[in-house]
Parts: sequence; C-alpha cells; structure tokens
Amino acid sequence: MALDPKSLDPVDYAIISQSLIAAAREMGAKLIRSAYSTVLREARDGSAALLDAKGNTIAQAELIPMQLGTIGHVFQPCTKLYPNETLVPGDFFVINDPYSGGQHLQDVFLFHPIFYDGKVIGFSASVAHHLDVSGGDPGLNIAAPDVYAEGLIIPPLKFNMERDWHGGPFERLLRANVRVPHQTMGDFDAQIAANAIGAQRVVELADRYGAEKIAAVMAALLDYSEARMRAALREIPDGVYTGEDAVDDDGLSDEALPVRATVTITGDQATIDFTGTAPQVRRNLNAPFAATVSAALSCLKAALTSPDIPFNAGAFRPIEVTAPKGSMLNPNHPAPVRARMEVCSRAWNAIMKALSQAVPDKVIACGFDTTTSFVLSHLGESGWSVYLEIYGGGFGAANDTDGCDGVDNPLSNCSNTPVEALDQDFPFFRVVEYALRTDSGGRGRQRGGLGFTRSFEALRDGVRVALYSDRFKLSADGLFGGGEGATGFCEVRRGDTVIKLKSKDAMDLQRGDIVTLGTGGGGGYGDPAERTEALIAENLEDGIISPEVARTWRDAGAAGQGQAGP
Amino acid sequence: MRVGIEVGGTFTDLVAIDGSRVEVVKVPSTPGNPEIGAFNSLEAAGIEAASVSDLVHGSTVATNAILERKGASVAFVTTQGFRDILFFQRHDRRNIYDLRYKKPAPPLRRKDCLEVAERVDSQGNIVLPLDEQAIRRDLIPALAAGGYQAVAVCLLSAYSAPAHEARVKELINAALPSVQVACSHEVASEFREYERATTTVLSAYVQPVIDGYLARFEATLAKANFAGGFSVMQSNGGRLPSVAMRKNSITALFSGPAAGVVGAIRQAERSGRKDLITFDMGGTSTDVCLVVDGVPSVSPETEVDGLPIRTPVLDIVTVGAGGGSLVWIDDGGMLRVGPRSSGATPGPACYGRGGTLPTVTDAHVVRGTIRADAFLGGTMTLDVDKAHKSFEEVAGKLGISVRDAAAAAIRLAVANIVRAVQLVSTERGRDPRSYALLPFGGAGPLLAAEIAEELGCREIVVPPNPGVISAFGLLAADYVRVASVTRRTALSDDAPTVLREEFQRFREKAETEFRSLGLDGALAFELTAEMRFVGQAFEIPVEIDPARLAGLKPSDLADEFSAAHRRIYFHGGEPGRKVEIVGLRFAVRRRLDSLPDFRERVSRLEHPPEIEVWTPNGAAATALIDADTLAPGRPVNGAAMIEGYSSTLWVPPGWCAERDEPGNIIMRRA
Repeated sequence: MALDPKSLDPVDYAIISQSLIAAAREMGAKLIRSAYSTVLREARDGSAALLDAKGNTIAQAELIPMQLGTIGHVFQPCTKLYPNETLVPGDFFVINDPYSGGQHLQDVFLFHPIFYDGKVIGFSASVAHHLDVSGGDPGLNIAAPDVYAEGLIIPPLKFNMERDWHGGPFERLLRANVRVPHQTMGDFDAQIAANAIGAQRVVELADRYGAEKIAAVMAALLDYSEARMRAALREIPDGVYTGEDAVDDDGLSDEALPVRATVTITGDQATIDFTGTAPQVRRNLNAPFAATVSAALSCLKAALTSPDIPFNAGAFRPIEVTAPKGSMLNPNHPAPVRARMEVCSRAWNAIMKALSQAVPDKVIACGFDTTTSFVLSHLGESGWSVYLEIYGGGFGAANDTDGCDGVDNPLSNCSNTPVEALDQDFPFFRVVEYALRTDSGGRGRQRGGLGFTRSFEALRDGVRVALYSDRFKLSADGLFGGGEGATGFCEVRRGDTVIKLKSKDAMDLQRGDIVTLGTGGGGGYGDPAERTEALIAENLEDGIISPEVARTWRDAGAAGQGQAGP
Repeated sequence: MRVGIEVGGTFTDLVAIDGSRVEVVKVPSTPGNPEIGAFNSLEAAGIEAASVSDLVHGSTVATNAILERKGASVAFVTTQGFRDILFFQRHDRRNIYDLRYKKPAPPLRRKDCLEVAERVDSQGNIVLPLDEQAIRRDLIPALAAGGYQAVAVCLLSAYSAPAHEARVKELINAALPSVQVACSHEVASEFREYERATTTVLSAYVQPVIDGYLARFEATLAKANFAGGFSVMQSNGGRLPSVAMRKNSITALFSGPAAGVVGAIRQAERSGRKDLITFDMGGTSTDVCLVVDGVPSVSPETEVDGLPIRTPVLDIVTVGAGGGSLVWIDDGGMLRVGPRSSGATPGPACYGRGGTLPTVTDAHVVRGTIRADAFLGGTMTLDVDKAHKSFEEVAGKLGISVRDAAAAAIRLAVANIVRAVQLVSTERGRDPRSYALLPFGGAGPLLAAEIAEELGCREIVVPPNPGVISAFGLLAADYVRVASVTRRTALSDDAPTVLREEFQRFREKAETEFRSLGLDGALAFELTAEMRFVGQAFEIPVEIDPARLAGLKPSDLADEFSAAHRRIYFHGGEPGRKVEIVGLRFAVRRRLDSLPDFRERVSRLEHPPEIEVWTPNGAAATALIDADTLAPGRPVNGAAMIEGYSSTLWVPPGWCAERDEPGNIIMRRA
C-alpha cells in the first residue's frame, strides 16, 4: 500500500528527506575519493544521485551542474527495456549513448537497483567522465565526423555484477577497448562503490522507517522542489524574453554559430525554446537534447532559486524545454557531440541575457563560460599516458559583485590538478606558468572575472596536444554598460616562432616546445564610470588591470560615461 | 595545583585539581584581551598563580586572528610563474549554483605575492638553479619596501627538495633580520602546492600574534611569581611547552575542540570505555569525533574560513546544530533546524534579549529539560513565556501544538547530529552501535539519550562537569609533536627501508627537541602511512606499530591497506593493482606521569524534588537530582534530570543512570 505523502509526519519527512540528500552527497564523496583518473579524482567530473522506483531523480550530489539535470532522463530507456519486476539483486544498467538520453560517450552512467524485501524501491546512479572510451584519438578526437568516431557506444544495457563484472565478460570487453585501463576500470569501481553506499543508506532508512514511508518521502520531496521552483517562477514578471549568443565556429569554417533562447514566463511556469539556433554542424560541437535540457534547467536554478532547493525531477515539472530537431541543440543521429559544453554554455548565456530583461538584479553578465578541454598525450614504452584537464576562466559580474577570477564554467565545477601532482605523474611535460591574465576582465561598475594562462613545456618529442575551447573570437558580453571580457587563445612557442592554434585544434609537439593556453575573462556589469576610484586603484596595485586600462577606466569616469571594453 | 584554562568565544573555563580538591569555574571571556578572562578565572577560583605547578592553556587567539584578519602583514614568495596559486586555489566553487561566488579570501593581496626564478622537479633534481642575484636585486628590496612583518616561502617541489627554500630564507634573514620567515617545508612538508602554500601563509600570518600573546601571558605569570610549567594546547590533541608553541603557531588553531575530545577520552578510559563517539554541543554548533581503542581519528587537513590547513588534527566533524540553532519553516513548507543560529545576540527567545525566533534552547525550555531558574548554575533566568511564544508561528504552520513543535525541533536537532556521527562512523566503515556515546558541552547531555536511540548505541558515558571537559582535557593532554612528509614510495621490497629511515630521522629530531624542552622520560612514537592504489588521489591512513618496523614486510602493508580500502569503498582492489605509500605521519608523545582525578563540582540550587517534562507520551513526572549526589550503587531511573554546575543530563523514561567509581555517569536502557 502506498502512503499518501500528505499523511507524513512532518518530522519524519524532514529527517528522511535530509538523510536522502546526505546519502547522495556521500555517494559523490565516495566517487571522487576512490577514483583514479585526474579528470574524476581531481577535476571531479562526475555526479551521483538517488532515484525513486520509477527513475525520478530525488536527490543528487552537487558536483557538476551539467550532469545533474538529466540523470532521470538517461534512466528511462533502460527501464523501458528492463522493467523493475524483471530485475534481480546484482543487476545494473549501463549507458552512454547520447542518442538514447546520454550526453557524450565519455559520461558513462551506471544505475543499480535498490532492493528491499525483494522489491525495487529505488536506484542509485552515478556518472563519471571517463578519460578514454576508445575512439579515434586518445582522450579527445577533435576531428570525429560522427559519434562512432568518438568512442565506444553503450546503448541501454543490463548486466549483473556477479556474472559480468569482476573479471566477467562486460568488464573484459570494456577493458579491451580503453587506452588507459588501469585508470578507467578503477573509475568504474569508484562508480560502483558510490552506488553501493547509496543503496546501503536507503536500505538502512527503510529498516528504520519502513519502505512505504521512504517511498512517500521521495514523492513528497519531488512535490517540495516543485513547489519551491514554482514559488521562484511566480516572482518573475510574466512575459516573453529573448537572448542570443554564439559559438565561435565549428572548427571547419569560420562562421559564427548563433544560439537563440526565448524564455516565456506564465505565472508559475516557464518554457524555454531554442528556435533560431544554428543547424547541427559536422564537428563535435553539437549537444544531444539531454545536455540542452540540463543546461537550461541549471541556468534557471542558478539565477532564480535559493541554493538549498534539492535539484530533483520535481523542480523540472514547471519547466518545458524545446529545441528544433536538427539544430545544434537537438541534432540528428549520428552527429558528433563530444564538445557539447560550448553550445550548452551559449544556451546558458542566451537564457541569462533573456532573464536580464525580467530580473536584472538576479542575473550576471556573460563570463568566459567556456569549457576548455585540454589534452596532452604521449605513447611511451609502457603504453599511452593521457593528461586531460578542464579549464574555466573569468565569471561574469553581477549588479553588486565583481566576477570571480580563474574559476570553472558555471555549468561545470572541475578542480585543477596540483602542479606538483602533474610533476609526479607525467614525465613528458612540465607546467611552467599558471597566472591570472591582467586586463582580461570586462570593465564596468563591477568588473568581470579574470581569465588565466597555463603554459606547458614538452619534455619529449611526440607529445600531442589537442583541445577544444571557444570564445577565441567572440568575447563575453557585459551587461547594462559593462565591457566585454578578453578572448581566449592557444599558442605554441618553438624557438623564435609562435604557432597559433585554433579553439578546436590538435598538433604534434617537439621537445622544448611551450604550449600556452589563455582563457578569457568575464563581462562587466554596469557603467564603468560608476566604479569607485578606490577599487580602480586597488585593482591597479594588484595587477588586475594595467596602468593603460586604469587610465581608460578613469577617463570613462571623468567623462561621466561608460564605453564598452578595454 | 594543576590548572587548565580554556578560553572560548563566550566563556573562559577553568579546572583546577590538587589531589582530591577540584575547582571548576566559568567566567565570561574578554575577547579583546583573552588573557584577562584567563586571569579572572584564576581569581574566581581563588587560586594564586604561585601555587600552580602545571598550567595548561587553550585559546581561540590563533583562530580569531585569521577569522578577523588581524594577523601580521605577510608577503608570499614562490616559484616564478606561480604567484597566483593562492588565488586560483582549486579552480572550483563550493556552491555550484552561486552566480556571485567568491573564493575564500587569503590573508594578503595579489601585490604581496612575489616570485623567484628557480625550479626543482618532483625527484628533487634542479631544473633551474635559484637566481640569488635576482633575490638580492629585486626580491629583498621589494620585501623591505612593503614593510612586511612576515614572509611565507613556498617553492614548487620543496616538499621533496627543500634546499632552495632554505637558501631563500637565509638570504632574507641576512638582509632583513626583523622579518620572520616561514618555509613550506618546515610547516607542511607535503605535496599539493596550494594547500602547502596556504598553510605556510597562515602560519606566517598568525605567528606574531601567538608569539605576542604568549609572551604577554608569560610576563603576567612571572609578575605573579608563577614558577610552574606553562604549556599550550594543539589541534592534534597534545600540548607543548609555551616556548615551543611560540614558534609553532599553526597547530594552535582549533585547540579547543581537540581538548574536549582528549578530556572525554581520558575520563572514559577510567571507566574502561575506549570505543567512543564524542559529541560536544555548544551554542552554535556540535563537534563530533570517533575514538577507536582510546585513539581519536586524525585527519591530515583542516580548514579555517574556507582556507585549507595541512597539518594533522583530530578528525572532528562540525555541524551547525547548537542550542542557538534556529527552528524555521522554509518556503517549501519543510521544518528545518539550523544551520543559522541566533548567535550571542539576540540569542534564543527565552534569553529575553530581543530574540523572537525559536531555537533548540527554547525547545528545551518548552519541554522542560532546561529549567528557567537553573540555567548556567542559576546565574541567568530564562523567560518561559517567550520560549513558548517563539514557537507559536511554527506550530501554527504545521497545525500542531507548541509543545509538539518544540518536540519536533528537538527530534530534528538530534537528526542533524546523528548525520554528523554517521559522517565520522558509517562513512568510514565503522558501526556506531558498537561505540559508547560520550556527550559533553553545555547542551550535549540533554540530547544524549535521544541520539543514542537513533544510532543504536547501547551505552552513554557522561563525564563529571561535562560543560568544562575541555579545560580538564588540557590537564589530561600528553606532550605531543606531530609531523608529516610526502615520500612517494612504491610498495616494493625497498618500502620498509624507506619507512625505517624516515622514522629514524623523525625520532632523532624529536628526541633532541623534547630533551631541549626539558621533557625527559620515556617517549612513545606513532607512525602512520598514508597509502593508496597507484593512480588514486586520496589516501587512506594505515597505522604501523614502530615496534614492527624491524621485521616489516611489504605484503603486511598491502594487506592492511586493502582491508581498510574495502571497509570504506566495498572493494579491496583487483588482484595485482599496485599500492603506494604517499606520505608518512609521525607523532612523538611524552605521557603524563599521572592523570588528575576529576570529580563533580558541588552545586546546590534550591529546587523542587520533581518537575514535569513533556515527552512523546505526554507529561512525565521527572525527578530532579543534584549531580554531585549521584553515587555508585544508587541508580536513577528516568524520567530524571541530573543537574550539575555546567550542564544537565536528561534521563528519559526507560533509561537508567548510575555514577561509577571513577566518577562518570553510565546511562543505559533500563
């Protein structure tokens, strides 16, 4: 018998729901702490969640916003094939197919059913960005013409831990297809550990309170997040708001790729439509629709609601997201999607610009808001060595705050890897500089955050650099008179020559080459003329701005008007 | 006379013990000059400084210097190309949806960060020699012009090859003798440059503050003809003579919570209880610590104000659940307790200082487990009506009575603490049911039974005077010095040799230091290897008995590591997965010759023999008993309240409490 959520004792409800949220957080901690690859253990590019028996996300570990929106969506094709009543203990689902609800092949989702008294009462889920899942190049194949070239595609599948893992056929198949099995297989073990702890916590709660009560609390938590999301939407004036931004190019041609968002607020509901966005492209910059939905929901959540609202399936009920089929934000199979983050970030920016017309005090200016995925790889005697790191840049400024300097993209939250850890683990390169970029933040009453440079010296011949990034050409816009942030760049110094790389590029290095990656800054907010002299002077002393820019900023103040951009 | 003085944010606690004489005093703290409160406590207890043989002190001076940004003006010197590591931090956000995110602020500005040309690789090979000329030409004039009191030097790879740092220090010392220089290899010789750099900067930042404070303290003591030993508490649970602590500021942070845990452990040991979960509930937060076989778990890192500090500390988890935690209903209709607190002002509604929002303390007043005229030994009268009134709105929204709302608030506060206990126990593969719960702090014993019920703990051990157990912990603390080093070593045949060499090095250094501090007598050593599978980034501690070092085999270490990994992550690694040691942690301990005898302070307030407490089954007639009258062989069945000077123990119906010979109260289900 199902319990009516409304009949729950308020204290039981509060305790069980906080315990579910804590369990999801614990799953996330286990995932990161037992991981092997730098992208998971240091950059923390993974997430974990608890789902109810139908696959609605109830509670999530807040690690990477981009992965959080749609864990429940990825689950649906699995449950369709393998309904709960057909599952036995030890079973689990695995999927990474972007065209079955996944995001990109590197993000592999694992779902473990949680059994209680022989019945499935929920699922524990985890997703990790895997360093290498096969494909045309180690870590990152920027030239992939389709999703097949990007790596091993795993459609929704059911396996059993006893039979298929621990040396079983699925584990062996995976191991045979990845370039760095020690790390990748270890990261799968970390996902399994995270799922195991989530299941154990839910079972403990069921022991204490009964499975019906847990199910009722899960239902109530969905209603709770929905109610709070609706309350937040009601505070926005009804209307139709539009915003636009663009991806630099697709890496093949030089054409900018526009992203257009129309946000319609009606009472306590919102629709977001991306009509007007560029058609899908031949390179990996397309975003599968699940990724588009994640980006849109994350933006609304960040801009409109207080941080303590559990980000679960209930919060999404009042929001509808649509994108034209065949566009970059909803491509047709088998378009490549590895670098989905760039267009998703522009979708995020376009929504933020639309919302700036409705709630100017809640939004921020565009930041560099670009995922720079940077890979150095080397094939030595003992096999491949792959270094992958995700870089952010400067945040956009808010009405009352400067943008954060040198921080990951709002849709992501990757940590940097300590230089001393890289020194220990990778003998084929050395980081020789890691510095904030003076003058890279947009001017404004509040300045944009600074981007940064990171330089690597190749210590061997045959080191390959590959990257995808964006905003090398089109900078981050300011808001309400604020200036734009600096664009990013990547260059290789070889002796006296400097070789410029594009934002989506790859190249073989020689020993002694120095690759410098520069990420851009965020846009400013408000008229630069309104910035106080004290702040300008402090920024100048700290080298956040150069004397030349300080002069233009002060001139703007003297003239009593703002000008865009340094 | 042995005296412990613990300066907290609101109160300064003193415990003085001389044979069977026990003095316990709580006086208001004097935040501007904490030493005044400390000396006030001596006076209030009627103790002459000249009669004190052993004085141990703990204070929040170091922590506050950071929180209030009142440390030295400090410069940061690092390897060329990396001046911004203090500002990059880890490039992530603590709250992923915060659009106005601000990173934790280091205690200096970007202009205070300077570079020297040099580079050493992870093996300690010099890639670029130190440019001494540039140091003389550029760095030293810049430091002089900046007028810095202190300099923190953290060069890349200095944890493995400290020579460049040492040379930079020499050059600065020679040119600027009045500037204090802290080197990262001396403060935290571990890899991961941001964490090591911040630790070094914070150390340099608080050093002059601690040094000045302890110098003033020593001078005042000297004036009062004090001739005993004066030592200071550390966050690792040990003490050091003041003269050593004046040069060792970083371990003075967070000494208060550590002192409480040490006091609790030592007191519980007397009752033969060595597996404990301690919880210290105060006004704004609760600190929880897991103790296995008398040894508190240790964490390699802590943080203050969001900034990491790389030094081994007692592993204490803090949750925002204290007596002052606010009870509220969020905009989704859910009942919440904390993390926001009513703070010192206005404080709980029942304080009558203008607070109208309900708190956990108000909930206790409503249900009757805090008596309005017995708060803080009767020194403060509470307003019962205001406590009731504060709950009306919450009760109305939930459609329940004020008493039920207060009961609900207490259940939620209990649940918050239970989650903190799970963080230190179940998350690390330990089952709380096999531990005794040890509550302390002013508000801990009031909730102990309910927390034990939730966790399934069978037994509760309540020390005497639980509200001042930290001050007792100062007296009970051994002399301890800890150190850790990064020494990445594959678990091959060489590993035991590396362990033996590193251990011997620490041992010789520690023996020399302790002798020079006048700490003779037997020294005990501890050794922990921080281990992981090759490729992982987070280590698991594996303790190694130094006596086993001589015959240690790599396979022993591998087995112990695998078991620990399995306990936490449910798998012990596939066969053949390589294991490595990343770092080593050492401790040297000079045990106390004797532990002072701690007894309940006699505290008598006029009170009725029985009161009424609201329980889930309605009003319960509750015996009211003075803590000092509780004696062995005379168990008390709940409902009862056992009232002492610094704290009250709530014995709910169905529980039974009895004093044992060593002086603790043991509480079990009847």
